[in-house]
Amino acid sequence: MHPPEQPLTDFFISASFEGDVAVLALAGEVDIVTSPEFSAFFDTLLARGHYSVVLDLAGLYFMDASGLAVIADGAARLERVGGTLVIRTPTPMIEEVLRITGFTRLVRVEVGPEVGPKEWVRSGLRQFSALRSEDEVLDGALRMAVSLASALVGGADGASVSLRRHGRLSTVAASDRTIASMDASQYETGEGPCIDASVEGRWFHAEILGSETRWPAFTPQARALGINAILSSPLLVEDRPVGALNIYSLSASAFSPEDRELAATFAAEASAILADAATSEGDEARGQLTIRFQGALRAREVIAQAQGVLMEREGLAEEEAYSALRRFSQGNGTPLQERALDIVTSTRRARPGGADV
Amino acid sequence: MYEDTVGVLDQFRRDAALSHGELWLRYFELGGMSTGFQLEAYLYGALLPSQHDHNVIAHALNERFSELGGNHPVPYEDD
Repeated sequence: MHPPEQPLTDFFISASFEGDVAVLALAGEVDIVTSPEFSAFFDTLLARGHYSVVLDLAGLYFMDASGLAVIADGAARLERVGGTLVIRTPTPMIEEVLRITGFTRLVRVEVGPEVGPKEWVRSGLRQFSALRSEDEVLDGALRMAVSLASALVGGADGASVSLRRHGRLSTVAASDRTIASMDASQYETGEGPCIDASVEGRWFHAEILGSETRWPAFTPQARALGINAILSSPLLVEDRPVGALNIYSLSASAFSPEDRELAATFAAEASAILADAATSEGDEARGQLTIRFQGALRAREVIAQAQGVLMEREGLAEEEAYSALRRFSQGNGTPLQERALDIVTSTRRARPGGADV
Repeated sequence: MYEDTVGVLDQFRRDAALSHGELWLRYFELGGMSTGFQLEAYLYGALLPSQHDHNVIAHALNERFSELGGNHPVPYEDD
């Protein structure tokens, strides 16, 4: 009986404990297909009250925006409950991704070897992909697109993503407050490159705002905040415009042809994120995994409790208590967990209600 | 023979029709403390598990063989 070796995707996650610290070890690639599994493990640890989490990334060689979104989300939730998240030994490329996306400020990163110089720029673009459909996570990926666009497009001083939701445009991601207010001025005045790109589904490039005539109400507001060039690229889902990726610069004529090409690539990637989100499935698989991992954590706790009972009752050491459980299971054909549960429940029954407190 | 033990656990895993991930989950369920990588290293003989770890892995495999209607073919280490 030799089933075919099965890995459909090259990803493997596992957990271990170092005292109270839960260590999630990731290997392979975290992407749209595998990030739900990563997320499910994370959710489960948090749900079970493990608030000190280490992500061991030594075996991980690729992570896209969906993986980063899981980490960002996990870090935020842990922070709210007073927990901690540490990223351990990322590969140089992933470490660089964490740095340029600002994660190194969000999460403590314990680095491994020296960072290589330029490799990541090429693969930086691969740091987008798609996500599951929840808006929050989607917005996380778009925020990632925005921070990468501001970091990688030469001349960019900030970037944003506008999306049409419920019939009107709104900013779902912006690199800072000035940029968000630039978008807002366009929504208010009803004009600007962002609006036009979102409506017409093509590029709008305001190369020198000082000599711009297309948006008389909006342009002075932009210039008042020091903006001198804007590049808005449409986001398209099934060829329909749904929003725009906007890149702003303090300098006129800031965007070279290469920058514009790069912006187009980012817009295409952001569009792909949106399109994939629209068709994403996988929540079900994620639910099943969560349930299995939850069950596994619960099973461990029962076994640990049973060990405790045996240690106290029979004066055994920890591993001796485990061996006793295991030998019983072996001899009687009872699964070890079942035996552990019997011990724990019979002890509870035997104990007079709260008398020994 | 020492060489015979290299990869033997992994052969059991394949006979039990478990992926590495599934075996790790079962091992973890039974209280195993090692990560998936460490477990793989044990299976291939690249790392030597502690006696306790070996027995947890053996038991995870044996319970799987029981589910499949078999006996407990994976030997435990004396304790």
